[in-house]
Amino acid sequence: MAEVSNSSGRDPLRSRIPVTVITGFLGSGKTTLLNALLQCPEAANTAVIINEFGEIGVDNDLVLNVTESMTLLDNGCVCCVLRGDLEQALLDMFTARRAGGIASFERVILETTGLADPAPIMQTLISDPMLALHYRLDGVVTLVDSVQGLAQLKDNAEAVKQAAVADRLVITKSDLAGPQAVEELANTLKRINPSARHAIAIDGKVDPTFVLAVGLDRVRVQPEAVERWLGDAPSAHGEHHHHTHDISTFTLFFDEPFEKEVFERCVDVLASLRGADLLRVKGLVNVVGENGPVIVQGVQHLFHPPVTLAAWPSADKRSRLVFITRKIERKTVADLFSAIAAIKPA
Amino acid sequence: MSEKMNLSKGSNPADSMIWNFKLLAQDPLNGFGNVGEGINMQIAADGRRILWVAHESAPTNFTGIDVSDPRKPKVITQTQLPHNKMRSNSLDVVGNTMIVAYQTRDVGMTPAGFDIFDITVPEKPKLVSHFDTSGPHSRGVHTLWFVDGEYVHMASGAADFQPRNPKDDQMYMIVDVRNPSKPVEAGRWWAPGTREGDSEPSPWVTEGKFPVGKSGFRCHNTNVYPERPDRAYVGYIDYGAVILDISDKAHPKVVSRWASNPPYPGWAHTALPLFSRDLMVVSHESTKDNGADWPKLVWVLDMRLENNPMPISTLPMPPLETFSKRGGRFGGHNLHENQPGPAAWRSDTIVFSTLFNGGLRAYDLSDPFRPEEIAYFVPGAPPLSRVNAVQINDIFVDDRGIVYTVDRFTGGLYTLEMNF
Repeated sequence: MAEVSNSSGRDPLRSRIPVTVITGFLGSGKTTLLNALLQCPEAANTAVIINEFGEIGVDNDLVLNVTESMTLLDNGCVCCVLRGDLEQALLDMFTARRAGGIASFERVILETTGLADPAPIMQTLISDPMLALHYRLDGVVTLVDSVQGLAQLKDNAEAVKQAAVADRLVITKSDLAGPQAVEELANTLKRINPSARHAIAIDGKVDPTFVLAVGLDRVRVQPEAVERWLGDAPSAHGEHHHHTHDISTFTLFFDEPFEKEVFERCVDVLASLRGADLLRVKGLVNVVGENGPVIVQGVQHLFHPPVTLAAWPSADKRSRLVFITRKIERKTVADLFSAIAAIKPA
Repeated sequence: MSEKMNLSKGSNPADSMIWNFKLLAQDPLNGFGNVGEGINMQIAADGRRILWVAHESAPTNFTGIDVSDPRKPKVITQTQLPHNKMRSNSLDVVGNTMIVAYQTRDVGMTPAGFDIFDITVPEKPKLVSHFDTSGPHSRGVHTLWFVDGEYVHMASGAADFQPRNPKDDQMYMIVDVRNPSKPVEAGRWWAPGTREGDSEPSPWVTEGKFPVGKSGFRCHNTNVYPERPDRAYVGYIDYGAVILDISDKAHPKVVSRWASNPPYPGWAHTALPLFSRDLMVVSHESTKDNGADWPKLVWVLDMRLENNPMPISTLPMPPLETFSKRGGRFGGHNLHENQPGPAAWRSDTIVFSTLFNGGLRAYDLSDPFRPEEIAYFVPGAPPLSRVNAVQINDIFVDDRGIVYTVDRFTGGLYTLEMNF
């Protein structure tokens, strides 16, 4: 059969249900934030997945336990208690939706347990081919409590990782801490993850669009959406390094376009050598023969299958990759690209 | 407090189900929301987009709807049939010419055939001529295809056509309308053995585990495209999908035929070629309520050899358990047919299929061995629907990507945006 014609074809991003992962340490206010969010019209038709009933994101009074694992909230949202496999829960929910068994939800919010490492959840969402038919990771929102946050970040590697992989950081309980403590926390978070935008929740409330519309939802995308997704990445030669936690954030730019195979080889080598410390990789890559940039998204050793945007968001067609790493410096990654691709970062 | 969910039973027909479509508007068409299987769009001289629909049953003939703003459809023309024992069901539009089918309830009745209208002023359709196919064994025209401004391809009876079985009463007929005031028949073809006097035996098989022909060997959709003006892609109900060589319109010749029955239940409806992919999509119509004729499927065929169509997959259907209990028919029917012309959207990758109470579904055929459902719209039961469920009957997508789908009984028109 002839090659697939791309005209009037499907947008590989647009038809996927967005999944927002809300993470944060114990007591960081995930329950309060989720409750407030579900009251907003922007969050109508949301399916909520929570880890266990004890930690339910909504008051028990509001919950009707209907099937073994799925619950209908009184605002029409669906709540699913995750008892086993996330992949299975998401597929079951999609099947139930398609069969008309549950409401036609338009997004999923997944609340992790406080101690959870969000990376495996993110990996499932970006790399599981069955899930990718129906869902896409929209963003990771990490909550940090202004009272306990600094101590947790100091003492606990998981708390640091939660902040490091975030697309959005929300500082909670600011009313219980002084403005100075809030500022100190904000500065610390900025050092751990300078690319993530942050907001301060007031009474557990944040602008729903700040947390729910983070990812790229179509290939014919507005330039500002690409900027929003990439976040406030450091400029070409900047590198943020947070010594206490060995977390680095840096951006590599490449003036020359990549041959597809060469770029894939670079990513493969990097992931196999240093995958565990590659906390998050996001970027746009100029690939020879493609009209728009190829978007790259990776968590540790797993990468999302490449998707090409319809057009570059600006006249600047340099490849740019934002790395958030643990114990890997900019130079190491830059050298690796130079060695394999013979393309020196700008 | 919300009602309890029960995942084991069929879903509630009052509930809408929607994924990757956005509903822009619904219009019950002045209370005549029973739309058949003829939808096409006119771009009027003043730039307005007029969607023309034929009705499934009397008393309404056809309706013109201004859908320039798809969020605010506006009925601008609605006409009545001369009597209640007939229907239009099908129409097509080229430029400012519209052709409307007429099918009567019983043989021997009139008017049976089609009318040609000048719709230059959409508010005032002007009758140009009538083409008569009535006869002692004819009910007239069930469906027609008119896309080149020159020929009408249609499923019709004729005064001189006597079928061996009354159910075989529609053949494929080509009518030359280059002079719209004087349409003339240009050619015809029927399944061998179905006409009285044929030398071939009737294809009916009445005995055994898989009888064939219960629904009749008659013509349904008759699609011809500019990519292959020498081919007609014909759905011929229990005779299957037939590709005809019409390079000599007076003498159509069979190139190939593919039928899923037996053992499947037949009722081949639409044969949609996807030329750039060497594929063909064949839908089968469900005609019985509550899943009684399941499975009426939509098949994907490899057409690299047009004389040997090879089925490779079917479009995935929503669960029978749910939809057989939702009310009315559930199964295949119409497809968006990639109509030529400036007002239609065309894709060789994405296929839209209407499934009665299963709603409108969109499928991605990037991998033709594994078609993937990518969107659905199942509106809740429209008020006064006699099966208490929606019966999505037909679909048209315009060049802007706006999707128009219609209910068979009362729901009228739904306008949607694609979200994929």
